[in-house]
Amino acid sequence: MRMEPRDETSLLATLARKNAVLEGINRIFHEALTAPSLEALGRVCLRVAEDVTGAAFSFMGEIDRATDTLDEIAISERGWTAFEAAKSDWPRGKVPTGLTIHGLYGRVLREGRGLIFNDAATHADRIGTPAGHPPLASFLGVPLHQNGAVIGMVGLGNRPGGFRDEDLAAAEELAPAIVQALRSKRAEMALRDSEEQRRLTLELVPAMLWRVDLNGLRIESNQQWHAITGQTDEQASAGGWMELIHPSEAGKVTRAFRRAYAAGEPVTVQCRVRQAEGGYRALLIRQVPVRDDAGQITHWLGAATDISDMQLLEERQRVLVAELQHRVRNILTVVRSVFARTVEGGESLDDVADHFRGRLDALARTQVSATLNASGTVDLENLIRDELLSVGVSDGPELSIAGPDVALPAGAVELLGLAVHELATNALKFGAFRSPGGSLSITWDVNVDGRSARRLDLRWTEQGVPAVPVGAARQGFGTELIEEALPYRLGAETRLEFRGGGVRCTIALPLSGDEEGA
Amino acid sequence: MTMPGRLAGRRILVVEDEYFIASDLRRALGAEQAVVIGPVSSLAAGLELAERDGIDAALLDVNLEGDSSLAIADRLAARGVPFVFVTGYDDWALPDAYRHVRRVPKPFAVPTVLDALDQLLASEERP
Repeated sequence: MRMEPRDETSLLATLARKNAVLEGINRIFHEALTAPSLEALGRVCLRVAEDVTGAAFSFMGEIDRATDTLDEIAISERGWTAFEAAKSDWPRGKVPTGLTIHGLYGRVLREGRGLIFNDAATHADRIGTPAGHPPLASFLGVPLHQNGAVIGMVGLGNRPGGFRDEDLAAAEELAPAIVQALRSKRAEMALRDSEEQRRLTLELVPAMLWRVDLNGLRIESNQQWHAITGQTDEQASAGGWMELIHPSEAGKVTRAFRRAYAAGEPVTVQCRVRQAEGGYRALLIRQVPVRDDAGQITHWLGAATDISDMQLLEERQRVLVAELQHRVRNILTVVRSVFARTVEGGESLDDVADHFRGRLDALARTQVSATLNASGTVDLENLIRDELLSVGVSDGPELSIAGPDVALPAGAVELLGLAVHELATNALKFGAFRSPGGSLSITWDVNVDGRSARRLDLRWTEQGVPAVPVGAARQGFGTELIEEALPYRLGAETRLEFRGGGVRCTIALPLSGDEEGA
Repeated sequence: MTMPGRLAGRRILVVEDEYFIASDLRRALGAEQAVVIGPVSSLAAGLELAERDGIDAALLDVNLEGDSSLAIADRLAARGVPFVFVTGYDDWALPDAYRHVRRVPKPFAVPTVLDALDQLLASEERP
């Protein structure tokens, strides 16, 4: 600070100004801690600069090296008020950027030294003020230096009576403090950004991540451990997390970690961890040491992935494969039994082949329809119509089918399909569809018995069929199927009568409560 | 093949949910003059019959309409009744504890089942 006091009064005035500058610097550093943005800090700096120089308004800018233009960092509160008074349509708070470096402020930047222009309105280097800018009578500019290079400037305007050397001196003394405050604010914001980014990253990763100190005691996590287990970092620390490991696996986990800490080596272990809402989740836990430049372990980083769903899927796949195998072998065994029974009938080879093919086709149809929807259920009416169609019978006056929608459980489809097939084939060969004037009525309804179990009551009634001898083989397989197999496998109650006028068959089939129906 | 008469008069429990298979087994055992207990198709019915006295051996289907028949196997083992699994499952689908149990894989030929039962009873007869 230049101090050339001529008398006691001016010495006092100089001391007061010096004091004001120091107070201003103090204010700048104080505000730098809490200013929410670079622009807010800039406004604080400008306010201080205006206070110590007596300027009416001010701005601060920095050079954009890439474009060699000036980006303003901030315009002071008084500056904005002056803009408003000048009826500017400049949006308040939006500082201009990309300004060409020329005019009076251009000289400050180019020459890299503080300058006073008390003839700002008429100076030869003036470029005039843009529309909406308050009239500029006097101007004081000081460059901002960093590492010897000009990085920007502070511009002060309109001190009543014009700027004096001591105002320039005060502004020049503020400048390094302003540079320092801006720098530390930038650094702090960059750090906050990267911290925020790190925090967000940790939250985004669908895994539990943590950092634990050298001794494996103090844990800081990304909260996902807490989300799953309900344990806070504090509770998890000092071995607290071990309490959540499934007792049967605690020993294995303890040994793995003890070994890793002793050897300073990564550890990978799979175990079940108790969840907050009860039950266990299977986790794959990994932890690696982090070393400093000298190779010493400073702390550990850990990650755990929830592999419960994967294990569940693997288990489900295993069950599905086993189930598929079971079903395939079962159906082959059924086919073998059906074949044996068809042969036992003692018919001609052609008849055996014909009957067997029909039964095999019926089995195949039920297998296909049972896999058509996810639940494995089959619509009863569709099943009946499919079987009738397979023996060449479709709608006609001699056929009536009536009943509510019934979704047959998957387990009942196979045998009921075969039963309808046997009845339909019999009707075609010996019954309602062979005799002129014969007719078939198939009706059903769903009833609820005393124990509120649902039951399908199906009636197959042929009429107008003259009494004919029933084929022994057909009676053998079809009868056994309806009278023995349906009750055995499905708990059905059945009745099959070959009587004058045609076959009459009733089937009462329990439907499990879960199935959809009428 | 079956030694003549070994199955005659023996009481064999049959638990099998597929009617045709159960029926084949019943016929085959009947032809050997064995006494068939059952056959039954459900876990509940199987567990009930497993409590009966005088059962010499059992044929168990592992999968009963989606239920596992292993509970019946456990009950029979506890009572000292030998049994054979008749199953479409591969060995790996059975828990380890049952790996030693004799199995007849489906689809099976009837003599294979009778053989298995015969050997089961023969080993029981040896002191």
